[in-house]
Amino acid sequence: MSNANWILFLSTLSTGLILGSIFSLVAAGVTIVYGSIWMPNAANGQFFLLAALFGWTLTVSWGIHPAIAAILVIGVSVPLSYLLEVLLIKRFYDVPNRNISYFVLSLGITQILAGVFSLTYGQWSDQFQLPPLITGITFIGPFPIANNRLAVLALAIAILAGLFLLLRFHRYGRALRAVFQNRDAAALRGVNVKASYSMSFALGNAVIFAGGILFALAYSFDLTVAWTMAITAFAIMIIGGPGSVLGAVVIGMVFGFTQAIVSVVASPTIAAFSYLGAMLVILLFKPSGLFAK
Amino acid sequence: MTDSSSTTSLSSDWKKIAGPLGAFTILAFAIPALLSGNRYLAFVAGITLIHIVWTSGMNLLYGYTGLMPLMFAGIAGISAYFAVDLTASGWSFWVALPVGALAASIAGTILGLPSLRLKGFYFTLCSLVIQTVITLGFVYFANLTNGDTGISQIPLPAAPGSGTISAPAFDLILAAAAVIGVVVLIAITRSALGKRLIAIREDDELAEMLGINVTRYKMTAFFIGSLFAGVGGALYAPYIGFISPRSFDVLISMNIWLMVAFGGRGTIWGPVAGAVILVPLSFLLQEYYTVKDVIYGLLIIAVIVLMPGGIASGLKRTTRATEPVAAGAAEQRGAK
Repeated sequence: MSNANWILFLSTLSTGLILGSIFSLVAAGVTIVYGSIWMPNAANGQFFLLAALFGWTLTVSWGIHPAIAAILVIGVSVPLSYLLEVLLIKRFYDVPNRNISYFVLSLGITQILAGVFSLTYGQWSDQFQLPPLITGITFIGPFPIANNRLAVLALAIAILAGLFLLLRFHRYGRALRAVFQNRDAAALRGVNVKASYSMSFALGNAVIFAGGILFALAYSFDLTVAWTMAITAFAIMIIGGPGSVLGAVVIGMVFGFTQAIVSVVASPTIAAFSYLGAMLVILLFKPSGLFAK
Repeated sequence: MTDSSSTTSLSSDWKKIAGPLGAFTILAFAIPALLSGNRYLAFVAGITLIHIVWTSGMNLLYGYTGLMPLMFAGIAGISAYFAVDLTASGWSFWVALPVGALAASIAGTILGLPSLRLKGFYFTLCSLVIQTVITLGFVYFANLTNGDTGISQIPLPAAPGSGTISAPAFDLILAAAAVIGVVVLIAITRSALGKRLIAIREDDELAEMLGINVTRYKMTAFFIGSLFAGVGGALYAPYIGFISPRSFDVLISMNIWLMVAFGGRGTIWGPVAGAVILVPLSFLLQEYYTVKDVIYGLLIIAVIVLMPGGIASGLKRTTRATEPVAAGAAEQRGAK
């Protein structure tokens, strides 16, 4: 391979990995919430953007180090989730067919947050860029990559691994998975279903926030990223199978690489068309998704 | 709820609605005429009338058939672009309007096909995806739509004779469209078609077992509902004078849905009231354009949490206190 091709290959690979792991995080957050409390959170993109913008305020406006800012952003998602759950989400826990109510509710939240963001951040800047987590550049062969992006990639993969370990081995994680599979049986076996709802809502949103702050650390962004992310995360969840974290991660990676490859050879609109087309096909012919149990 | 007392004959049904319908007709024509001294206020009234056409179509689909099509604005946009492009290429607007509306109807019927397989949240999500694809399409096919920039300085339609029609005259056409829209909706809900759509809304499997051709009636509902969307879209473009993909994006679909849900789905006048309240509100807030989004978002949450039947059901509950249980049950099922 010539040097130019080698660079193109490595840059596509690194973009694919970073985007893929961030897509996986957000889609995992959405699918955890849908799998347990049956809430298809259309506001996930706005939550993602909220984390990114909050990170921008902490680092650029207040001068806090990006590493501390990232921890603060993910931390603040927990009380926010709790507040939202107590105010709105709890009311529907016993409503049959609550997914459509939740869906519309989250579209309302989307509209509110979109309005608030364009009223505030939209007036301050068009494009947002956070300071890097770490500086410097590493060469992989002829290909230069910012250490900052490598760090973001490592963190994203570490969080995904942690999520898997939590769901697989920890007591809370096992209770969550039991509720995913059969909430009545889980309740009979002594799992506190309502407590697991709170837990998964907070966990899912924390993962979405993590995706948002990591994206903001790796790339500059604008306010339109929210809607793109929301639709992408839904597409990943539907194709991977609602409730399946493994499906979210696998399809998230596929989407990340698709995005990276397509943006080299064609316009991003083509990538969006292909996601949405794939999602429609799955919705119509296999609504349980590819990785459903 | 509307079908629970269908023992009365058809003609007395019409007599019952004649009063409100007469009042609505007079107001629809009189208000733009009275406001014609102030072009801005007349314009707000005109936009409200277009939204009444839209909410009537959305009400047929969401209120009476129980489907929540979030691609509604996209369908209106298809008609708007058709009408504008055809008019620009030399067609008369009055031919382009029905052609555009028909194109929207056909598109809406095809895009409604997933409703045969998908229900509730899954259909709504599917319609959201379709809406997003339509919006991307409007941006992508820039030779027809001028992309993100949009098409501006769309002229008002030509008047018979020469020159273009005046804005106050176009207001009256909008009033006629809104009145015709409401009359068609009333006619449908009073007909066998309307009863069958309500049966499908309440339980489509049961309706199928009772011998109702669910496929055919859902497609009919989409055809008619999309026709409303298309007529509104084709009238909207020359009235505003500017269209872009953002004029017909998912937020607009949600706004039209909100007007129906806030006013009271499955009632004739609830969605009309929703449009009359919410459209002028957005103009009042025009200086703080994004405040409108926040208020609409809060209203969506309020509708879902506090008043699943909209303001019309609130009124009904106080006046007809005898059947709150039935109303509650209908709401639960309708929320599917």
